[in-house]
Amino acid sequence: MVDVLSPLKPVWKPGTHGNTANGIGVVLTETQPGSIVQLAAWQGQEKKLLAAIKAVSALALPDGAGGGKSGDSKAAFGIAPGKFLIVDQNEGLAAIFSGAVTSEVGTVTDLSHGRTALRISGPKAEWVLAKFFAVDFALPAFPVGSGIATLHHDIFAHIQRTGAEQFDLYVFRSFARSFWTMLCHASEEVGYEVS
Amino acid sequence: MSPRRTDSGGRIDRQRSIRFTFDGKPFTGYPGDTLASALLASGVSLFGRSFKYHRPRGVMTAGVDEPNALVTVLKGGVREPNIPATLLEIYDGLTVVSQNHFPSLGFDIGATNQLGGKLLGAGFYYKTFIGPVIGPLKGTRFWMFCEYFIRRAAGLGRAGNEKDTARYERINAFCDVLVVGSGPAGLMAAKTAAESGKRVVFADLEPRLGGSANWSGETIDGMPAADWAEAAVTELRQNANVRLLPRTTVWGYYDGNTLAALERVADHKPNPGKGEPRHRYWTIRAEAVVLATGAFERPLVFPGNDRPGVMLASAAERYAAEFGVLPGRKVVVFTNNDSAYATAAALKKAGAGIAAIVDVRREVSEAAHAAALSVGGEFLAGHAVVATEGGAKLSGIKVQIFDAATGALSGEPRSIEADCLIVSGGWSPVIHLASQAGINPQWDDARQAFLPPQPTQNWVGAGAFNGSFSTEEALAEGHAAACQAAGTVDGLIEALPEVETPALRSHPAPVFEIKAKGKAFVDFQHDVTADDVRLAYREGFVSVEHLKRYTTLGMATDQGKTSNVPGLAIMAEALGKPIPDVGTTRFRPPFSAVSLGSLAAERYGDLKPERLTPMHDWHIEHNATMYPVGLWFRPMIYGDPGETVEQAYVREAKATRETAGIVDVSTLGKIAVQGPDAAEFLDRVYTNVFSTLAIGKARYGLMLREDGLAMDDGTTWRLGQNDFLMTTTTANAGKVMQHLEYLLDVIWPDLKVQLTSVTDQWAGAAIGGPKAREILASCVTGTAVDNEALQFMGIVHGEIAGAPVMICRLSFSGEMAFEVYSGACHGCHVWKALMQAGKPFGLVPYGLEALGTLRIEKGHVTGAEIDGRTTGRDLHLDWMLSKKKPFIGSAMMDREGLMAEDRIKLVGVISLDNRPLNGGAHIVEENNPDEPRNSIGHITAVCYSPALGKYIGLALVKGGKSRHGSRAFVADPLRKRFGPVEIVSHHFFDPEGKRMHG
Repeated sequence: MVDVLSPLKPVWKPGTHGNTANGIGVVLTETQPGSIVQLAAWQGQEKKLLAAIKAVSALALPDGAGGGKSGDSKAAFGIAPGKFLIVDQNEGLAAIFSGAVTSEVGTVTDLSHGRTALRISGPKAEWVLAKFFAVDFALPAFPVGSGIATLHHDIFAHIQRTGAEQFDLYVFRSFARSFWTMLCHASEEVGYEVS
Repeated sequence: MSPRRTDSGGRIDRQRSIRFTFDGKPFTGYPGDTLASALLASGVSLFGRSFKYHRPRGVMTAGVDEPNALVTVLKGGVREPNIPATLLEIYDGLTVVSQNHFPSLGFDIGATNQLGGKLLGAGFYYKTFIGPVIGPLKGTRFWMFCEYFIRRAAGLGRAGNEKDTARYERINAFCDVLVVGSGPAGLMAAKTAAESGKRVVFADLEPRLGGSANWSGETIDGMPAADWAEAAVTELRQNANVRLLPRTTVWGYYDGNTLAALERVADHKPNPGKGEPRHRYWTIRAEAVVLATGAFERPLVFPGNDRPGVMLASAAERYAAEFGVLPGRKVVVFTNNDSAYATAAALKKAGAGIAAIVDVRREVSEAAHAAALSVGGEFLAGHAVVATEGGAKLSGIKVQIFDAATGALSGEPRSIEADCLIVSGGWSPVIHLASQAGINPQWDDARQAFLPPQPTQNWVGAGAFNGSFSTEEALAEGHAAACQAAGTVDGLIEALPEVETPALRSHPAPVFEIKAKGKAFVDFQHDVTADDVRLAYREGFVSVEHLKRYTTLGMATDQGKTSNVPGLAIMAEALGKPIPDVGTTRFRPPFSAVSLGSLAAERYGDLKPERLTPMHDWHIEHNATMYPVGLWFRPMIYGDPGETVEQAYVREAKATRETAGIVDVSTLGKIAVQGPDAAEFLDRVYTNVFSTLAIGKARYGLMLREDGLAMDDGTTWRLGQNDFLMTTTTANAGKVMQHLEYLLDVIWPDLKVQLTSVTDQWAGAAIGGPKAREILASCVTGTAVDNEALQFMGIVHGEIAGAPVMICRLSFSGEMAFEVYSGACHGCHVWKALMQAGKPFGLVPYGLEALGTLRIEKGHVTGAEIDGRTTGRDLHLDWMLSKKKPFIGSAMMDREGLMAEDRIKLVGVISLDNRPLNGGAHIVEENNPDEPRNSIGHITAVCYSPALGKYIGLALVKGGKSRHGSRAFVADPLRKRFGPVEIVSHHFFDPEGKRMHG
């Protein structure tokens, strides 16, 4: 097995940073899932795709953009009408879906190398994310499991809430180092831990 | 204890002193003080010099509307000018200087400008400095000569040249109800909305929430109003649904109930906390907005109304109540309404003596009369102040009998000794945000003020903002507004708080100006007088818009908060029209000054994101000079010590031709084109056919724009029946993606095609040269790479050092070459394995310069030639223009203009004088180095060709192929280059392609 090289390596500085006078506001991590797969259904085929997602990942998703589910090792959420991002800590998910999703239903696109998965958790996670995205991250508006496709200046991002105070972000790998650096910078004010 | 500081009262903390300097002199104040309150407490009355006449100026207000007391803050080498002293909270080490004077604030040579009298009136510069002929100086040249001196003499603060190192941030907020303004109306609205369970953002530009409750001296619910406000704020602070934003100015109201606000996070601290920004720019998206922004008190216009010591009544009350500072010991009140009587009572209570109350009205309300008697001093109803006395400090005033109906003065003026004159000319609701969000404000005769327009967005007004100036009305309207904003029809609370307050009405007499001899200022910050307004009218400026621009009234940094309405009233009188017929200007953002830093926020400096390839760190470790290509960074050369750029790229290109070279091509745009209609879609967007492409094969494609001009090129690989991998040029990846998405979404929504950017999914390494195949063969497992297994434009899958790879045999360099794609996270691993395998063969990494050299030698085009002006035919890509099918651009590419014989077409050029060529240089036919003319084209790309041993280039030249073998000249006057070139075929090297076909 070949080691996966994180794009964050030179800027990855484990430990606590910033203003920690009032504790740690956020914890930043890279989750390095084995698989990140985009599934898209042709119009009218959404339910079949959802059924395939359930069959493969055991995650029962609501139809449409925004809804999602997350478990210990798997997560999935709608990123656009009929379009979903499925994440698994194990490798090989794209190949499995390629067998489960026929061309009559939709497409399977492997993005496992193309997106970098970052996690931000802690009491100030919403605050820090609000500095980047024009998204209402309050729990009632953005409940656990739900997700969104959004943009911070030039950087495209998929975001899923995976806990009351936890969000997983998927950014283009080539932008990941810049985004991580910005994330750390924005977290300085509230104190952060890299782990 | 300072001479003006009271023993108790106010928001200040008398237990601790703060030291600061003003014009180099040390001062002390208390936590909670503004610069204005601290200096006033220390007996300072002179804060700055005026814009044009350099007149001495003091403090007029206690808030954001301050036109006079503007100062420059010096912090860490950075100068920040034009900060109202009334908003500047002091801290230990604060360093402030006054503005617009020479050599000092006390003695200013510029004050001689006052002697110019009417000469310096409205439009003085326009009339005087444009046009007169003095020697060689005439017209604008004369102006340019004078401008230097004028700009030195007139103006506000001076900005510094040091880089602002402060940190700025942007943040987004969403809420059900945004309450702007924290006075009784706003507080009541926030309380009500919060109690109904709504998410509330509650913003006020002051550091202490509570607005007028903090200084009104009223009683609310049986307790001092300030205590009531504090209790209400404490309650709100404990509510998780409420975000309190003190020191936050909501300055812009935009469509979709989106509001902009500036939070001054750290301006009141010696240094920001770790990671804390100085300013934070809030974008607030609110379901509903409650505007409880209060009202600004207006000054009256009378001669000498700008002398230090003249102050708005409400400001005097605030200084006494909030800061424990008496603006004077002997105070005269000058008013056209009742509200100043409450101020007189408050000042009296705080310890000031009231020398007189001068009211333009002959008859006043009983409550006002009673208040006048209670404070003592003279009560001069039906009088007006006609002059002020003193130098840079008020020593007295002159009053005269005044008829408010006619404006006539009578009797002899007489003096009254005073060290402070407080003025109230009525109140103007702060309707800026509503005006930004909607239509024109409406004039109200009773209040002599503009009231907010009907909402066109989801906002509700409350309190003084609506012209409801009493606290009782404010509480009721705040509650009602919040109920409406929260969608609650019935009131939420059983009874509103009870208010105890004198029965004084703020509705003023319609008097704005006292016409007497002397300069009477309307716009204090821009030194616009009442006479200037009338002069503008006499010179034909009858529209309020023209008046504003000609006199610059209301155009200073305070945006006329104290001057707009008086100016308009004087204009209306000159026109002989009622004020509503004259109209008013609409307010536009920002409400008050906004730091440029906050607008740029993190976008300035560290947020220009960098796109890095998976091999980026390897390149750096191997001496690559990185070159920005859009947001990407790519190696330009891998320089050896002492090498020039040319030496490096020549070495790299030569090695590639002789043995093998490897280049990082991960930046190429890559788009997954998937679905049953993917092949059909590609047939439509490319000029050539892709539906016939076999699985496991790649094809070079050309894409045109709808107008028939070339757009982009690249190879597209068929990975499966319904699965294509399109590559684009690095620069055009985004543009091509948008183009394709538009076509699918709008033109052909029936096609079952899915597009996904997979640029970042793949790391790409192009390895080429005579030894390339051997290198690959030595490290690839799981597939052969010989000619049989991997034909030209074929694709195979295998592994390198355990990582899965996809290899396509294609060539940009003209050599036997392969593009090796791996998962991006394996990219560096594969690259290193290739380098290791290539070591015995002499494999070298090469950068963009060598890449360019190799492609120029081959005559391959890039963005330099596909420049948005060339067609496929111009670039000799006619063979790619299919006649069997329509495609985007096919209808337009045969237009006459695009087929014309005299179009510039791709050729090669060779420097005949052995000197380098320059991209962008012209090609001319005539050997005339001094005056080159009649360009026949231009050079698009240049290099020194190691294969040819010459400086060569690609060019777009009229006549194209017909000029092959002819001589011309390169003309580049800007870079002083002229010399002979030979025009040749663009295929300089291996035109038959023997090397890449092996």
